Amino acid sequence: MKDLIQKLKKRFDVNDVVYQKDNQTYLTIAKDQAVSFITHLKDVEGFTHLVILTAVDWIEDNEFQLTYMLNNPGKKVDLGVRVLIDREEAEMESIHHLWKTAATYQRELREMFGIDFPGSPRVNEDFILEGWDDIPPYRRDFDTKEYSEQTYYPRPGRKTHDPAEYMKKKLYPEE
Amino acid sequence: MTEESKYRDKFPAKNPDGTNKIDLDSHKFIKVWQGPNHPGITGNMSLELDLQGDEVMQCKTHVGYLHRGFEKLMERRRFIQCFPICVRIAVPEPDFNEYCLSASFEELAGIEIPEAAKWMRTLLLEMSRLQSFLMWMGGQAGSFGIGVVGQWTNYARDLVLDRFEEISGGRIYHMHMTPGGVRGLPPTGFENRMEETLQTIEEIMKDVKDTLFDNTIFKKRSIGLGVIKPEMVEPYGITGPNARAAGIPKDVRKDYPYLKYPELDFDVLTAENSDAYTRAELRRQEIHMTIDLIRQIMAKMPQSGDYMAKVPNVLHWQIPRGETYVRAECTRGEYGYYTVTDGSGYPRRINVRGPSYTHAVALMEKMAIDVNIADTAGLMVSLHTYPPEIER
Amino acid sequence: MNLKDLFKPFTAWKNLLAEPVPIKKPLERQGAPRYRGFHKNDLEKCIGCGTCEEICQNAAIDMVPVEGEETEEGDSGLRPRIDYGRCCWCALCVDICTTGSLTMSNQFQWIDSDPDVFRFVPGADEKYWDDEELGYKKPDNYELNNLDRIEMEEMEPEKRNHTFLEIVKGFSKEQAIQEADRCVECGICIATCPAHMGIPSYIKAIRKGDVEEGLRIMYETNPLPEVCGRVCTHKCETVCAMQHRGEPISIRWLKRYIADQVSLDKYQEIMGTDNLEKREEKVAIIGAGPAGLSASYYLAMMGYNVKIFEALEKPGGMTRYGIPEYRLPYEELDKDVEYIKSLGVEFQFNTKVGEDITLEEIHKDFDAVFAGTGLHLGRSTKIPGAEHEKCYQAVDLLREFTQGKEIEVAERIVVIGGGNVAMDISRTLARLQNKQYGQVQLVTTSLESEDIMPADEEEIIESREEGITLKPGWGPKEIKVEDGKVKGLKVIKCLSVFDNEGRFNPKFDQSENDFFAGDMVIEAIGQGMDISYMEDVELTERHKVKVDENYQSSKPWLFVGGDIVKGPDAISAIADGHKAAQGIDNYLSSKGEK
Ligand SMILES: Cc1cc2nc3c(=O)[nH]c(=O)nc-3n(C[C@H](O)[C@H](O)[C@H](O)COP(=O)(O)OP(=O)(O)OC[C@H]3O[C@@H](n4cnc5c(N)ncnc54)[C@H](O)[C@@H]3O)c2cc1C
Ligand code: SF4
Ligand code: SF4
Ligand code: SF4
Repeated sequence: MKDLIQKLKKRFDVNDVVYQKDNQTYLTIAKDQAVSFITHLKDVEGFTHLVILTAVDWIEDNEFQLTYMLNNPGKKVDLGVRVLIDREEAEMESIHHLWKTAATYQRELREMFGIDFPGSPRVNEDFILEGWDDIPPYRRDFDTKEYSEQTYYPRPGRKTHDPAEYMKKKLYPEE
Repeated sequence: MTEESKYRDKFPAKNPDGTNKIDLDSHKFIKVWQGPNHPGITGNMSLELDLQGDEVMQCKTHVGYLHRGFEKLMERRRFIQCFPICVRIAVPEPDFNEYCLSASFEELAGIEIPEAAKWMRTLLLEMSRLQSFLMWMGGQAGSFGIGVVGQWTNYARDLVLDRFEEISGGRIYHMHMTPGGVRGLPPTGFENRMEETLQTIEEIMKDVKDTLFDNTIFKKRSIGLGVIKPEMVEPYGITGPNARAAGIPKDVRKDYPYLKYPELDFDVLTAENSDAYTRAELRRQEIHMTIDLIRQIMAKMPQSGDYMAKVPNVLHWQIPRGETYVRAECTRGEYGYYTVTDGSGYPRRINVRGPSYTHAVALMEKMAIDVNIADTAGLMVSLHTYPPEIER
Repeated sequence: MNLKDLFKPFTAWKNLLAEPVPIKKPLERQGAPRYRGFHKNDLEKCIGCGTCEEICQNAAIDMVPVEGEETEEGDSGLRPRIDYGRCCWCALCVDICTTGSLTMSNQFQWIDSDPDVFRFVPGADEKYWDDEELGYKKPDNYELNNLDRIEMEEMEPEKRNHTFLEIVKGFSKEQAIQEADRCVECGICIATCPAHMGIPSYIKAIRKGDVEEGLRIMYETNPLPEVCGRVCTHKCETVCAMQHRGEPISIRWLKRYIADQVSLDKYQEIMGTDNLEKREEKVAIIGAGPAGLSASYYLAMMGYNVKIFEALEKPGGMTRYGIPEYRLPYEELDKDVEYIKSLGVEFQFNTKVGEDITLEEIHKDFDAVFAGTGLHLGRSTKIPGAEHEKCYQAVDLLREFTQGKEIEVAERIVVIGGGNVAMDISRTLARLQNKQYGQVQLVTTSLESEDIMPADEEEIIESREEGITLKPGWGPKEIKVEDGKVKGLKVIKCLSVFDNEGRFNPKFDQSENDFFAGDMVIEAIGQGMDISYMEDVELTERHKVKVDENYQSSKPWLFVGGDIVKGPDAISAIADGHKAAQGIDNYLSSKGEK
């Protein structure tokens, strides 16, 4: 793995390498190099299996991390390729031309995180949500609890007591 | 290309990308929704089919009937509170979720689980494989009209669930693997009851072989249906029996050994020409391999010993920043959890990779084309997909 | 097509006569012994800590009052009510239950058309599975709580019985965080703490690594954390939720950890007390013991001008002049006092009210007075020989030793008393015997048998480790004096200490006796007070100063607290001081309005 990373570093701007376990490494690549980097990994380095493509919302840094989990079935190693993109203008080049399934992942990312992949087939079609009109729900600032409290109503008759508060009320109320 | 499709070359017309050009207003097509409530759909999912006559010209997979937002939900749960949630991601195979989730937390937190727990997890995973395959077998037979097989195999599955109930106290959602280990070893006498169950299943599988696999109807309908060519495997992200039946020997248990698989004796089963029949036959063999694996595990597994590592107080447990992807071979292929932690008491992000994500969407949409509508259910089942894991 | 394939499927007909497999009476099907069915709760065992509610990721549990379950120390009186519309049967609540009261039955069949019946309090609302033995229990060897304490390092007995250096080492940061991690944050302990300290909150601050926050939380209710972090009677630990299945959280040592971490020069900044708003009124405090110090702290925080009159030369009261240094080093006590001083509290030492100045004189100059003068007069057994000059009072010796006075240490000593004071004097003298004679020859005897000895268990164990001979269960009969010299203590068997009504009324067996040789006898059976400086204040039947809930005496300007009102320990005195300060504030504020 280390050799591969050294090799890749010569051609690409590879950063933040983490050797997570024997057969799994993570690294970060700049957005503008990402697709050629991934293409290179697929076509030259044998990373022919796209395991997942997903995102992590680092809202505090105003960034989305796209994670392309690539697998080399021959060498049996994984490379987690991180691409950090701006959260405000969340857009990334599509890789559906590399893997047919990428289109599904990208469609989901568009819907759940609001990350656009221009040119990806059916990217704007609803995937899981139908008629959703709130912010993309997998963004960290979407509050599921608040949403469900507004959308549904609680079952009547539920009431709980905090043990410490309750004991104060019962045992030493005046203090 | 089949004989008939030659005539269809002229009609329907093709789009530049080779897909069929569908014009509903031409009155030459009919749109049919198969699902979300349909016995041929393995769960809440639907296929939007554009038919010409009784053949599928275009297929679109629709999910979203069972979106529970589990990935997001887990971002708002303490680590220990995730395991009751994750099981529901793939209803018929909760254990792979339990394993991947727990193993990813353990890896990121630097926790090594005891030996007995590793054996126990291996056992649970193989038992889960067994019951899931059995249920699938019934579904595959049923989707081709051979209902009786489902009666038998679901009975067989129930027997495996009895064994799960003994171990974990639950039949469907076992929740027996928790971050740090497992909730217990099998009760006394379990081994005998397990063996009895395995023998019953072997008997039933003989009948299944005679009734389903040596059955003209099944053969006629499944041979040549939904062929997965080896070159489709990578672009469509195909794994598991679907890939193995096409001659690609992918099996996480061998390729990325985990738990106690390195100590078990088994071969990766493969076949040629992945059509519905070959895949079914491969899965039939997998059932026998799983039975064999369970016997091996029972023989090697320790009867006692620690099964839970020391974990911090689960109410305050924080895991340092990190990310990992943990995979396991489920009945349908590669199951995996991509887990990101940020040092807080909650996971930052969990992304679940179920094989159905690729098999039931991009792959199914391609495979359905030119298939007779009567066979779409059989085709779908032959890809062995569980919709809840697509939308999670 | 293969002919075989046409006929083979018909072999299935052989099953036509096979025995059918379905379960014949599904409603009678038993769940497996580990089945996760409807919950059961042993209400007697359950303490209403709410940990089950906290862990339930489905929010299926509410903590509710239940008829017949009283709220008392160590038990909130609440019990979990489960909403089976939400429960997913994960049994996390069972796994984490601090007392082990919550389990599951193997029953799962129950049909009703009213959805509301599926929300009930297991154990309280009768169900048919209440007596079911089978069902999921937390497996042995599977533990989500950490039951064992982080061990506290202590000086070994052979070393410590020669020195007055502090025995207990205190937690390192790592140990403190690990110990703090064990707390389930239930808050059951708060009610039992006389000062109702925010225990789970400051423990949480330790977990977060924020000792400054911890210090702020402690000072809300206790301005002597270094003292209490070492010598508190830690009643909170006796009710800690974790002690039911494991060891209680080391609450006292965690408190000490926080205080130890912060240096005194940072206190004002951390607590934002560098610039307190001042008020006009003046309050006098009599006695610089925990009660007086606590009252002065809270009064100073409210802006009052506070002055303490103290009979002795240094502050701390019994925590200095009673508690030995190996348990509470003076510099730690001084640290707490220095901070109070830094808030502008004035100290006048060597001033005994009633002798050097009268209460009336003080009243003239101050708007209100708080008196917390404690118990300083040793009580005597009044047995023959007790008047001998070689028969001492424990508190006197302890005080004199603290003051640096030369105290008598005989080669063989007998101590009468079974409480902590007896242990303190015994262990102090044992150290001195070691210095002087190179060995310990000290017998400590008490009325109480060992199981009911009032001293803390650890004191008993440690005394023994230090070479002291304990003789519990004997009543002192006579101090044997020959040729004007004390020879030892004659004792008779004590059969029982309390009568059926629980009153002190010892019964003896005159026929069984013993003799403990000694050249000196110490009495450590209790202390009395001297409140002669207070004139015509109302007393209670038990001869204590009568006060209301604000510690106001029959004279509106005079507030009284600490050992002379209630006792028995430093933290109670601190709580009294705090409440009295609030009482004084109410009193002065309402007086100002008039
Ligand atoms: C040997 C011993 C060991 C103890 N160990 C512990 C322990 O481990 N943990 C615990 O919590 N408690 C312990 N206690 C009890 C604890 O010390 C007292 O409960 C606590 O100090 C009471 O505080 P106070 O402020 O009411 O009185 P005191 O601490 O007694 O303080 C009263 C102060 O008033 C002064 N004073 C008295 N009369 C006058 C006057 N007329 N004019 C001016 N000043 C006066 C005294 O000199 C003294 O400084 C122990 C007590 C003793 C005797
Ligand atoms: S955790 Fe156990 S002891 Fe605490 S309230 Fe729940 S059932 Fe009662
Ligand atoms: S079993 Fe699980 S879901 Fe049900 S009350 Fe207990 S913790 Fe909640
Ligand atoms: S110290 Fe004990 S009783 Fe107090 S909150 Fe923590 S666990 Fe609960």
